[in-house]
Amino acid sequence: MKTKDRQAFNALNGKGSERADRLHRFLMESGFDFATGVPCGVLKHIIANLVGDKRVCHVPANRESEAIGLAAGAYLAGKKPLVYMQNSGLFAASNDIASLLVPYGIPALMLISYRGCEGEDAVQHLTTGHATENLIRSFNLPYEVFDGRKRDINACVSVLIGLMTERELPAILLLKRGWYV
Amino acid sequence: MKRADVIEIVATSTQCDDVIVATTGLISRELFERFDSERNVYIPGSMGLVSSVGLGIALCDTNHRVVIIDGDASLLMNLGSMVTIGSRRPKNLLHIVLDNGAYASCSEESSMSGTANFGLLAKDVGYKYTATVGDREALKRAILSFKGGPGFLSAITELGGRRDFRRPQKLKEIKRRFMRFMSRQPKGKI
Repeated sequence: MKTKDRQAFNALNGKGSERADRLHRFLMESGFDFATGVPCGVLKHIIANLVGDKRVCHVPANRESEAIGLAAGAYLAGKKPLVYMQNSGLFAASNDIASLLVPYGIPALMLISYRGCEGEDAVQHLTTGHATENLIRSFNLPYEVFDGRKRDINACVSVLIGLMTERELPAILLLKRGWYV
Repeated sequence: MKRADVIEIVATSTQCDDVIVATTGLISRELFERFDSERNVYIPGSMGLVSSVGLGIALCDTNHRVVIIDGDASLLMNLGSMVTIGSRRPKNLLHIVLDNGAYASCSEESSMSGTANFGLLAKDVGYKYTATVGDREALKRAILSFKGGPGFLSAITELGGRRDFRRPQKLKEIKRRFMRFMSRQPKGKI
């Protein structure tokens, strides 16, 4: 990994992020008005923006499965839900995604931090990191990986919103550490 | 009191604009077969999440009352949800737990509800109204007298009863039907 990339990857303590703010504006324009999840440092700008926005009904969850249930209920009551969590939580909530969101056809947008990929320094993330994309592919869910380089984040989200609406499925944006730098 | 009694009383003592969200297994299946309605949501797979789905509905549409039919083992699987409900305090939410001390939809293996006092716990985490009921009349009275929540009812029930209910299968149709129901405004005030 190059030094510049390494710095971005480890930029967990940076202040506000222009990219996160742009993403937030796009999410609001797209009509998302409910958010739930379990925090991860990699997602802190996203969460702070959601918490600070009165247009969003934000209900923190104790664990990721609970967030899936809350998002399902919000959708059934006419809201457009966002769910945020770490990919470790994606595994904890995988049956709830498979047995509630998928058969009911609930299109929640899931913003998931992607720990355990190249450069990871925390051993507990390695197994789930390795399995994350395989899990999502085996569930046949639309997803994109964003690492802060090359592509525009709002373009990724736009593709996912189109797919989740058309296919009536949850869609996942995997965000690597340093995605907002 | 049997599971059949609780299902029947919840379905017939609630108002027609009330939402009913039923937990995994025989509770959903019995409600579906005997009292299927556009106002019902069945949680067939993700055991424990019924109270989270109910809370999500209650917070996002305060024009409808939301009645959750949970089970003791299901509640224990998502106990943190009670704390979330207590922290948000939705007035339009009534959480009923059918407590038979077992995983009744499996082979009636014991759960650990026997040493837990759900009513005390509910009160402690912020539910406004709690009661424990052991017969049909008390359950009916508790539902009819429910004014403002979040409310918690522990319904003590016996094991046994019919098991050969159909399963809700067409969940996307159930979703569309429910969302149409929710988009209509209730006639009366809650």
